[in-house]
Amino acid sequence: MSNVLSLKTSYYEALKRLTLELAGVNLGDDHAFLVETRLSALARQEGYQNLTQMIDDLFGQGQTRLAIRVVSALLERDTHFNPDPVGIETFETLLLPELYKANPLAKLRVLSFACSSGQEPYSLSIAVDKFLKDKENFSVEILGVDYPSPALSRAKEGKYTHFEVQRGLPIRDLITYFDRAGEDWIVKPSISQRVSFEEFHLLSKPDGLGQFDVVLFRNSLAHYSSPARIRVIRSLASVVKHEGYLMFGSEEKLPTTNHNFDIVPNRPNVLKKHAEEIIPPPEIELPKAPPKEYQPGQSPAERA
Amino acid sequence: MKNCLVVDNSKMIRRVAGRILSELKFNTDEAENGQEALSQCRTKMPDVVLVDWNMPVMDGLTFVKALRQEPNGQKPIVLFCTAERDVVKIAQALEAGADEYIMKPFDSDIIASKFQQAGLLAA
Repeated sequence: MSNVLSLKTSYYEALKRLTLELAGVNLGDDHAFLVETRLSALARQEGYQNLTQMIDDLFGQGQTRLAIRVVSALLERDTHFNPDPVGIETFETLLLPELYKANPLAKLRVLSFACSSGQEPYSLSIAVDKFLKDKENFSVEILGVDYPSPALSRAKEGKYTHFEVQRGLPIRDLITYFDRAGEDWIVKPSISQRVSFEEFHLLSKPDGLGQFDVVLFRNSLAHYSSPARIRVIRSLASVVKHEGYLMFGSEEKLPTTNHNFDIVPNRPNVLKKHAEEIIPPPEIELPKAPPKEYQPGQSPAERA
Repeated sequence: MKNCLVVDNSKMIRRVAGRILSELKFNTDEAENGQEALSQCRTKMPDVVLVDWNMPVMDGLTFVKALRQEPNGQKPIVLFCTAERDVVKIAQALEAGADEYIMKPFDSDIIASKFQQAGLLAA
């Protein structure tokens, strides 16, 4: 670590362990500067004189609330509108039409998992708006969840700087779906009314969130440790409705297959849940025979 | 390599935009106002035009309207790059034939993102 940083190496290592334990995310060895910048800002917000004081308190007194705040600050991601244009296009031109065809009177529920500052849920809502046009009885609600953080508070506000709205958002969408608010831009009520946000610990059980027709968890898998990745994917799979979709980032390789999902043709990052739960057959219980003693020189066939 | 014509009366903006565009693998030509840009387009039609709104001699809006009337004038992808942020002005620019719109100040991420949206760069 560089000498200009005030954070001790041992503290940095402890923060890496904390992030792995609480969020299942591996912080790289080269994130020291980012950690210092983000946590210094948090220390000021929390009323500490400096970062070291906050870290001393964190590890000395084991404050759970502070630990969550620290991990949330470390995991805040820089997201864009239409962060993955192929994904939004798939949602708009494939998933929405399929779900509409299945039930034109449905009220769809969409989950944007790890939504950060909200650009993905709002991009989805814009896609919904374009799709809905003449479909009066079909409606969609979008829920964005992430750790409690300033990013999530900004998501709830729906207000973005002129730099943020220019990253990923076509100009026609900007003037159609946003209003100017001084130097910033704010999402129009027609788009924000179908979007809500909730604070949520991404490794906890999502049962309380309900069931969803589409669940999106994109471009975050790579940061998770293997056990955390499996845990998150299992959790998400459990909240997808039957015949609903689970969608990852276009570039992401799915770490595992699940017997209740099929990969959608030509969309390797999109899984569709089967209409009915497939319960794997129970393992056949073999009759318990007394184990035969192993005799030296006996072949396996002779022992059987 | 595709050619981009940068039209701005500020030498600084032309230089900054030129540097970013060269990183994105575009050749750049420069013009100080709409009139100069129009005559360059008549000689060699660029693939892309990055044009400011407020300039002496001929402003960006007048230039884009005139460009779109030229033979082959529909070919270039036109992006406004201006400090004008009024929604009415943005709508006017699109109406005149602009494909995208960049609000100053900008950075390389914004240029890359807008070029992607205009189909000039792979997503």
